[in-house]
Amino acid sequence: MEPRQKPPFVPRRPVYGPGDVDADYARDLGEPGGFPYTRGTRPPQGGLNDADSTILRELSGEGSAERSNEQFRYLLEHGATGLDVIGDGPTVLYLDPDHPHARHAVGNTGVSLCRADDYRRLYADIPLDQVSISHSLPSGFAIAGIYMAAQDNGFDPSVIRGSTILAPVYGEDTGYGGNLPLELHLRLATDAIEFAAQHMPKFHPFIEDTYFISDGSITAVDEMALGFIEIREVVRRLTGRGVPIDAFAPRIAILVNCGMDFFGEIAKIRATRRIFARMMRDDFGATDPRSWAVNVAAHSSGVTMTSEQLVNNVVRGTSQALSLYLAGVRAMEISAFDEPIRTPSREAHIVGLRTQQILQLEARASDVADPLGGSYFIEALTDEVEQGILERIEEIEQMGSVPDLHARGYFRSLFAEAMVDRAHAVEDGTLPVVGVNCHQIPREEDTLLREVAETRVEPHYDLIDTIAEWKAQRDIEGVRKALGELEEAARDSSVNLIQPIIDAMRSDVTMGEAAGVLREVYGFRYDPLGGGARP
Amino acid sequence: MTAVQIEHDRAPRTVLGILGLDQHEAGALAIGSILRDHGIEVIYVGRFQTPSTLAHIAMQEDADVIAISCHSWEFLYYAKELVDMLDATPPRIPVVMGGSVVTGEDRDTVLASGVDAAILKDEPVEHIVETFRALTKSYRGA
Repeated sequence: MEPRQKPPFVPRRPVYGPGDVDADYARDLGEPGGFPYTRGTRPPQGGLNDADSTILRELSGEGSAERSNEQFRYLLEHGATGLDVIGDGPTVLYLDPDHPHARHAVGNTGVSLCRADDYRRLYADIPLDQVSISHSLPSGFAIAGIYMAAQDNGFDPSVIRGSTILAPVYGEDTGYGGNLPLELHLRLATDAIEFAAQHMPKFHPFIEDTYFISDGSITAVDEMALGFIEIREVVRRLTGRGVPIDAFAPRIAILVNCGMDFFGEIAKIRATRRIFARMMRDDFGATDPRSWAVNVAAHSSGVTMTSEQLVNNVVRGTSQALSLYLAGVRAMEISAFDEPIRTPSREAHIVGLRTQQILQLEARASDVADPLGGSYFIEALTDEVEQGILERIEEIEQMGSVPDLHARGYFRSLFAEAMVDRAHAVEDGTLPVVGVNCHQIPREEDTLLREVAETRVEPHYDLIDTIAEWKAQRDIEGVRKALGELEEAARDSSVNLIQPIIDAMRSDVTMGEAAGVLREVYGFRYDPLGGGARP
Repeated sequence: MTAVQIEHDRAPRTVLGILGLDQHEAGALAIGSILRDHGIEVIYVGRFQTPSTLAHIAMQEDADVIAISCHSWEFLYYAKELVDMLDATPPRIPVVMGGSVVTGEDRDTVLASGVDAAILKDEPVEHIVETFRALTKSYRGA
């Protein structure tokens, strides 16, 4: 039986025509590079094929800083022009590798980073003035780490390019938890933005990451509505402390998800640029055009990748990458074919890169800015998605403040319900997933790419010993003094925490220890999981 | 430890959690909902569990089965520790591990450690539910 189909997040009509579009070209579209940036934030580049201006990157980081550094070099030698560094489980959770809960998760799903020297080794001999480095790491520490590594590795930090994701409001509810209170998350986020605006002007310290909040399967409308709610909260806090909007808004970017709704994702990205432009100008009073033009990067959806018929994931990645090119996205990562099972293998990295390169260089998908602009269907869909996002923002903001909604568990309930809904839709077939609930093959025939995907990466237990031994030989009085100074700085809400974090790390304080002290300042236990004590 | 008093006439009761630092909850919430829909009582205890916390909660809650949702490889290394801990307090509560990252080889590994069932991503719901029912029946008959 053919499955009944779940409707897309914005209903579609069988055909679209002039009567479906109400857009005024100058008001609602504009030229590429012009307000409201629906058609893209940059003017056409003066020649066909935009390949040179595209950042190709793949998720990377595994084991120690040295091993990850080797991985970075491999990717750069094979055509990557950027890097996306992901921390292992303990690092993302602000835990040192010698924490009792960390032992079986060290280094096998990302890089283990907890001290200043890790960052120096991670970026050794990487041209930080040329390579754009995206960080899926705790933002305050990632900025402190790359700033310090640049200084120590011979680069002026002002040349660093790249970004760090921020997850201050939703992280605890969506897989980027650090067992930190909301107010500390928000302080680290706003301090990181302020610090980077002053010292790292080419760096995007504020990547609103709607990827991870949406990969539990909230709709694309909710993905962007929640993203904008987080942006608005951070902007209000920064302007409230006196930071001018135009001092940081040009460095805001949005990292969106890209699922399998080919046209819906294109419309979502076009609508997002338009909403951002109008919001920054009209709601927050930004006057610098760079504050209106938001750079949208993307990570293709991991949840759409299946562990059945793994090779189908290459097709899914290609479809998602094509919709991103047609939406004008020029910095993307393609979830790899082994995504359902592991962090990307070397083979999967190469397929991800080649997918982008074939679409650019052979299919020439990025030659023309906003190639679908003017399509009755795309323009109507862009309008409908925009309307849906704006209505949802208003609805949620009327329900209460962000801290209040967070405390009431509202956001968590949205994410949890979406995960369950998707599972039911896959189970009952209303969401067709090829190879999973339709067009399956017997498991014994499903062998293609399986050996690569199922190669397990063992935990790097040696790193636990390395860190434990290093901690034991530190100047512990110096560490205690530095932690005391960090605590004092944190108790003064007018102090930006990034420089005190750098100072503490230079005194051999680890991320786990610094985070523990910051938790205490905000009324949490030093180690909510138990097992760790303040030095 | 006194012998467990098993109520034979109530619905199967499962304590469902995630081990270690694995933060992915989609699978756990989904399977929890599906099991509930099929008449199995689910006590979801969330992330950041250890073998010790899961074993203690399961005993306190008179669980018939401990279910672990897996989206990182940590389950492989905690399996034996959990089974050994449960073995110390008979009758031993059965353990099911499942998730998208669980491969056929992983299943062999954890079954060899004493885990009672491992469920791969593509198992039909009917089979999953039957696994929980059969383990409950066997536990209550122990």
